[in-house]
Amino acid sequence: MKQRSWSDVVLSVWGVLVFVFLFAPILVIIVSSFNVGRLLVSWQSFGFDSFLALFEKPAIRDAVWISVQTGFIAAIVATLLGTLAGIAMARHPGKWVWWFLGLLLLVSVTPEIVDAVALLPWMVFLGQDLGIGLFNDGIIRLVIGHSLFSVAVVSYLVRARLVGQEGQLEEASADLYAKPPATFRRVTLPLAMPAVLAGFLLSFTLSLDNTVIAAFVQVSGTTPWPVYVLSALRSGLRPEIAAVSTIMLVLTLLALGLVAYVLRRAGDSAADIARTMGGG
Amino acid sequence: MRKSAGVALAFPAWVWLLVFFVAPVGMVIWFSFGYKPGIFGTHANDVLSFDRYAEAMSPTFFATFQNTLWVGIAGTVICLLVGLPVAYWMAVKAPPSRRGLLVALVMVPFWTNFLVRTIGWQVILAPEGWLSGALQAVGLIDGPLELLYTRGAVLLGVVYNYLPLMILPLFVAFDRVSGPLREASKDLGAGRWTTFFRVTLPLARPGVVAGVLLVFIPLMGDYITATVLGGAKGNMVGQLVASQFQTAQNWALGSAMAVLLIIVIMATVAVGAGLVWLVTLPFRSRNRLVLGEPEPSAASKPVEEVAA
Repeated sequence: MKQRSWSDVVLSVWGVLVFVFLFAPILVIIVSSFNVGRLLVSWQSFGFDSFLALFEKPAIRDAVWISVQTGFIAAIVATLLGTLAGIAMARHPGKWVWWFLGLLLLVSVTPEIVDAVALLPWMVFLGQDLGIGLFNDGIIRLVIGHSLFSVAVVSYLVRARLVGQEGQLEEASADLYAKPPATFRRVTLPLAMPAVLAGFLLSFTLSLDNTVIAAFVQVSGTTPWPVYVLSALRSGLRPEIAAVSTIMLVLTLLALGLVAYVLRRAGDSAADIARTMGGG
Repeated sequence: MRKSAGVALAFPAWVWLLVFFVAPVGMVIWFSFGYKPGIFGTHANDVLSFDRYAEAMSPTFFATFQNTLWVGIAGTVICLLVGLPVAYWMAVKAPPSRRGLLVALVMVPFWTNFLVRTIGWQVILAPEGWLSGALQAVGLIDGPLELLYTRGAVLLGVVYNYLPLMILPLFVAFDRVSGPLREASKDLGAGRWTTFFRVTLPLARPGVVAGVLLVFIPLMGDYITATVLGGAKGNMVGQLVASQFQTAQNWALGSAMAVLLIIVIMATVAVGAGLVWLVTLPFRSRNRLVLGEPEPSAASKPVEEVAA
């Protein structure tokens, strides 16, 4: 074996240290979820009480359920809008694409807190001043707030995927007398599928994670999980919060594994997967 | 026909973003020219002025803008310094078979709830926590750890929260700089460091740009990290904006602050880009890297995709 130089050793040690840094708080949360005690911060003894407590506390269950529902609907909305927009950008280029990309860029660089404070009065205006009852519904408000950034992400992903593969397949399909809808369904969509799937899962997790916009647009009765945690922050964090986080982490890992598996089946390398999931 | 089909496919996204992004943000910009009419009103626009902007720049609030900019720049620089070697190690030094796993590992915290990760740090940094105890036992510090609820804790939190956003684009960029190119540089007599600074790093520049933007922009608007780890001292503009809307009920002032925040972010990015351009000017003229047709396009691709 080739002798390793000191700089390589330093690099490897640094790499491992940074990974330890990245995982430290996550490990702390997982360990804390087995804490039998009143407060998350002070360790008492090992036990499964916090997981059992979840069955008795409807507030936590409701919050998680609201989050899952919102995440699912927001992901569907974002994937639908983003996929269509992404396909349009890749396959029907023109001046409009620059305008649209400019809008997407604006959406992605606007800080979440600005979206949040902008959506709050806007929802009040639509729901109460204009009297459109739809916008007083908690879930709809959350879905709208969570979908904005995700629409941009899915559009980029789908566009990047299709721009990489030129339109010859669609042309061939048209030459073989497939009607445009058939070409769309049987050629374009399958081509875009890995990006669509990655975009869907990314949107779902982004929505589950969204705290800032959710805290502003939520109406009482439909408090999503992160907002519940945020309010618990003021009243004292209990180990149940860590327990829920542990469960959600396991579920997220399963989803992550699924995406990686699908993408690998589609023949992407590690770098491609990183690029696809890293938001472009 | 092709063109109209394109517009029709993108139409729903256009409408969605115009109604739920452009219109509300436009409304905030409109509010920012108004004023707070009384104790019970939130905003009024019958007299338009720039007074709210002047108010937002008054010394008390200005200090918060300064602090936010400091945390934003320091956090981004630290992320770059910490993330660059890691990304290089992952893309070049680590065995290729393990790269997929390493990428997945970087993304796990990225996909864990932002708030919960930050709470994890709150637990670690607590004065009565185990890190504090361990450091005291070793004798590194005398009393309990006093990092939580300081600007240092906020900085640590934002570096932690945004580091994956720096590592991923850098990894993609380094991964695209082909191995044969580095070997060629070494064959031509360049040392390891010379190769890194004159071949690898210039080619990975798009990844650096993407990483810096992906970290700096959300970091400047951060609200959660500062709330969880900063207490009163770690004030960020995000918290200021939120408090104007939630507690002070002064929507006009909050709107002006939000607009200023966006302006500060854009101005900093522009100034930063200008500075980098000026500083690297002598290097670029000396260090021009001219490659064959396929390489530059491959190397410039990540920035378009990641930054876009």
